[in-house]
Amino acid sequence: MSNPNKPLLPPPVPAPDLSVSLGRLRLPNPILVASGTFGYGREMVGFVALDRLGGIVPKTITQLPRRGNVPWRTVETSAGLLNSIGLDNDGIEAFLKNQLPWLKQCGAPVIVSIAGATQPEFVQMADQLEGVPGIAALELNISCPNVSHGIDLGTDPEMCRRVVAGVRGVTKIPVIAKLTPNVTDIVAIAKGAQDGGADAITLINTCQGIAVDWRRRRPMLGNVIGGLSGPAIKPIALRCVYQVRQALDIPIVGVGGILSIDDCMEFFVTGASAVQIGTANFADPRASMNLLAALPGALAEMNATRMTDLIGSLMAGAGAPAGELQKAAGNQTHAS
Amino acid sequence: MHTPSPPVVCYADAARCIVADIVSHRLVAENTYRLRIDCPEIAASALPGQFVMLRIPERVDPLLARPLAVYDTFTAADTEPSNGDTPTEARRRYADFIYTVQGKFTTALKELAPGAQLLVWGPLGNGFSVPTVDHLLLVAGGIGQTALLALGRECLGNKLYGSSLRSVPRAKRVTFCWGARHGGLFGDVTDFRDAGMDVRLATLDGSVGHRGTVVDLLDELAQTEDLLHPQSIHIACCGPEGMMAAVARWSAARKISCDVSLEAPMACGIGICFTCVAKIRDAFGEWDYRRTCIEGPVFNAMAIDW
Ligand SMILES: Cc1cc2nc3c(=O)[nH]c(=O)nc-3n(C[C@H](O)[C@H](O)[C@H](O)COP(=O)(O)OP(=O)(O)OC[C@H]3O[C@@H](n4cnc5c(N)ncnc54)[C@H](O)[C@@H]3O)c2cc1C
Ligand SMILES: Cc1cc2nc3c(=O)[nH]c(=O)nc-3n(C[C@H](O)[C@H](O)[C@H](O)COP(=O)(O)O)c2cc1C
Ligand code: FES
Repeated sequence: MSNPNKPLLPPPVPAPDLSVSLGRLRLPNPILVASGTFGYGREMVGFVALDRLGGIVPKTITQLPRRGNVPWRTVETSAGLLNSIGLDNDGIEAFLKNQLPWLKQCGAPVIVSIAGATQPEFVQMADQLEGVPGIAALELNISCPNVSHGIDLGTDPEMCRRVVAGVRGVTKIPVIAKLTPNVTDIVAIAKGAQDGGADAITLINTCQGIAVDWRRRRPMLGNVIGGLSGPAIKPIALRCVYQVRQALDIPIVGVGGILSIDDCMEFFVTGASAVQIGTANFADPRASMNLLAALPGALAEMNATRMTDLIGSLMAGAGAPAGELQKAAGNQTHAS
Repeated sequence: MHTPSPPVVCYADAARCIVADIVSHRLVAENTYRLRIDCPEIAASALPGQFVMLRIPERVDPLLARPLAVYDTFTAADTEPSNGDTPTEARRRYADFIYTVQGKFTTALKELAPGAQLLVWGPLGNGFSVPTVDHLLLVAGGIGQTALLALGRECLGNKLYGSSLRSVPRAKRVTFCWGARHGGLFGDVTDFRDAGMDVRLATLDGSVGHRGTVVDLLDELAQTEDLLHPQSIHIACCGPEGMMAAVARWSAARKISCDVSLEAPMACGIGICFTCVAKIRDAFGEWDYRRTCIEGPVFNAMAIDW
């Protein structure tokens, strides 16, 4: 006999389709972890079910080993983190030998982040990675604010195009260009990446800044200038995603200041096909898992059954705050 | 270009990330508080010299967690008056921390009352491992005593941390030398005395103990001690960098082995951000920046490029 007090269960909701495509790259879900904020993946085994992630972007590698910048390397600022790590890494050879063998069996798509000091060095590194099993895509870090090479590849549209085109010329692996927000016209740089043949672009790397200890009359970072990340930069990242989405037709990976599921949803609606979690991994090592767990509920709230229902669905014109809309809707129901 | 030495394989696999309740929180010295949290997942496995990362959940300012050394851990039976029953659950449940108020995080932390929650991950870092010696010398400066109490307790057979199956070398004697700017900064010194350590204090202003630094305490000790057998002595040290460097020089000059626990600034504590690096030398004398959160924070003093 059925129990009359038993609440009626809502009809079962089919699990939403979380998969997304970034050009030729297909990912099981849109929650990725950002380069430089997740080590080489192995460090996170105690906190994260790596095989559930949409993708892992390990710390950027360079052709030759780099010791990185002198400490202090990070300093916390208001709702943000300023860093000048300086691409501390053991070089591409050591990565292939010591990190990739473990990474490629961890169950998540591995997007290898590379930084060349010059265009030919980018091409050389991509060539070396071509044919190596276990690499889902390359992310070209043409935006690191911590290494100065004289020419800044990431701030000139034509240089950006040549880097991407050069890499595309030597590899079949999907290519994502990661751009810096420290430019006057982000759309022009993104256009360069698109023209070069990028499958997608990642927006954004950190915003340049400094922090000062006035009592000692000294800069806080060993390198003086660093890159700002964390909640403080989210509006800048969203603005970049917005502008590029309005102007171009290229898949975007959004990154910058994401802490909560609301932050993720803002990026999706604005036009990001996937997001990367950066500084949030430091604030809570389980952040990526928490966001992944919250995603289906947020999709359901929007009556979306797949990610494509959501991506870039931002409407023109400013609306009343959601609370106001709900109130208005409530009043209507009441009146009818 | 430099050739990096092969990676040292150490990860925070045993660490757990939990939300823990504050159980007690009190002032123990000037600007210095003692915090107890309920965190069986961490307390049960924390070893001497390990630390945790602590954060006030949901806050974006401060945004990141801060490292604090695990000062001591307790079972429920340690902290509650016994009713005569043998405790059924002997696992360590509470972890204690002692901290000085420095900046953003510690200023916010000191306002939190019992019942408030903290996001905590740990235990982290390698902790101290002590050779078998007759005489263990613990040398602390400032708030550095927090990394040393548990080590002294274990070496005197006073307490055993982590698994009950661990075997720990015993020392015949443990001397604890502690230096601070003035006497008001010494909190809960009785923990060290009650554990059976020989406690010697130094203050820069002479308000308590010897007027001077911990190195003066070491010199004083050297006059009364036979240092002909340096291999029967080991030093474990934690404090401000300049003080640790001085202790490292002192012990190197006397061929006494010395481990130090570095207090590098940290953003993650688990090896993913590369903030916490120190210049560490390998067997060939070549230095590289090493992550002190996973490869340390305890290093042999000789390996550090001060
Ligand atoms: C392994 C380990 C164990 C530790 N254990 C303990 C412990 O048991 N007890 C304890 O009290 N402390 C301990 N510390 C130190 C503790 O982590 C710091 O005191 C704490 O992070 C301070 O945080 P805060 O937000 O209060 O201060 P912050 O606001 O971070 O500032 C702390 C101090 O550093 C200065 N500072 C901040 N950023 C910079 C910069 N970029 N350059 C120069 N100076 C800067 C500030 O001016 C201030 O004086 C430990 C540290 C480590 C690494
Ligand atoms: C400590 C630190 C190190 C970083 N290292 C890299 C890196 O090696 N390569 C890279 O492409 N981006 C690097 N970044 C940038 C992040 O991947 C990300 O683009 C940026 O932090 C913004 O996202 P967030 O606000 O979520 O952190 C680093 C960021 C931080 C905080
Ligand atoms: S604190 Fe992040 S790597 Fe050590």
